[in-house]
Amino acid sequence: MALLKKKNKEIVLERYYAAPLETVWKAWTEAERLAKWWGPEKTKVTDCEVDLRVGGRIYIVTEATGEMGKYAGTRWPMEGTFTHIDETGRLTYDARSWQEGDEEGTTIHHTNDVTLTNEGDKTHVRLHVTITRIGTKAKLAAFGMKWGYKAQLDALEKLLEG
Amino acid sequence: MEAVFSALGEPGRLRIVELLRLGPHAVGDIVERLGMRQPQVSKHLKVLAQAGLVKVQPRARHRIYHLDADAFEQMREWVDSFEELWAARLDSLGRYLEELDEEERDQ
Repeated sequence: MALLKKKNKEIVLERYYAAPLETVWKAWTEAERLAKWWGPEKTKVTDCEVDLRVGGRIYIVTEATGEMGKYAGTRWPMEGTFTHIDETGRLTYDARSWQEGDEEGTTIHHTNDVTLTNEGDKTHVRLHVTITRIGTKAKLAAFGMKWGYKAQLDALEKLLEG
Repeated sequence: MEAVFSALGEPGRLRIVELLRLGPHAVGDIVERLGMRQPQVSKHLKVLAQAGLVKVQPRARHRIYHLDADAFEQMREWVDSFEELWAARLDSLGRYLEELDEEERDQ
């Protein structure tokens, strides 16, 4: 009996940008442009390498700035390999992201699938992130567990204690 | 979280977690359901307990094991923060593209 469906965790994010598709494509694929936006607020990009060919490497390190308080200096690398490149609007890569110094406890393996579509004077971006594994060893079937699992377990715990 | 990930990295322990997902089980039940040897199951349960993934509840002469919500919650939070990161990144791309546009207009 299959006790657990081994489902991956999926994240789908969509945005419209008032920029031509070519500009958005360059922002995703040219290292010097990528470095300008990749880090969210209060971070900076310290390393950015893009070898734009199938099998080529993408490597970007985001570092927390002093504004992030206790996280200042913390580095979060992402390293990946391109699996599909189509400059008319599709970019995919297999990657792993982690926090430097705690690879064992923070590594997330994921695939990123970016689709760009021209819609009038806007570009639609769909980012589909699939988390395939977490940890360096764990094939985390545990992700098949329903989110919101805590409430269920808390109720169980009460039942057991009561 | 390192302990959690590494505890789940062992296939036998993962099978125990999968079984406990269905509900609490006594050690003997786990041995029977999974066809593992008792000392092996006890060893796995010890590692899972140390990682905070399972808790034990004595009942009569049995020791009943169940999953501990907190460890799973921690894991969920880590993944949620990963999701938030990508959302923040796409917002940041929006700001970058707007700035580009302004620079071009200024030229």
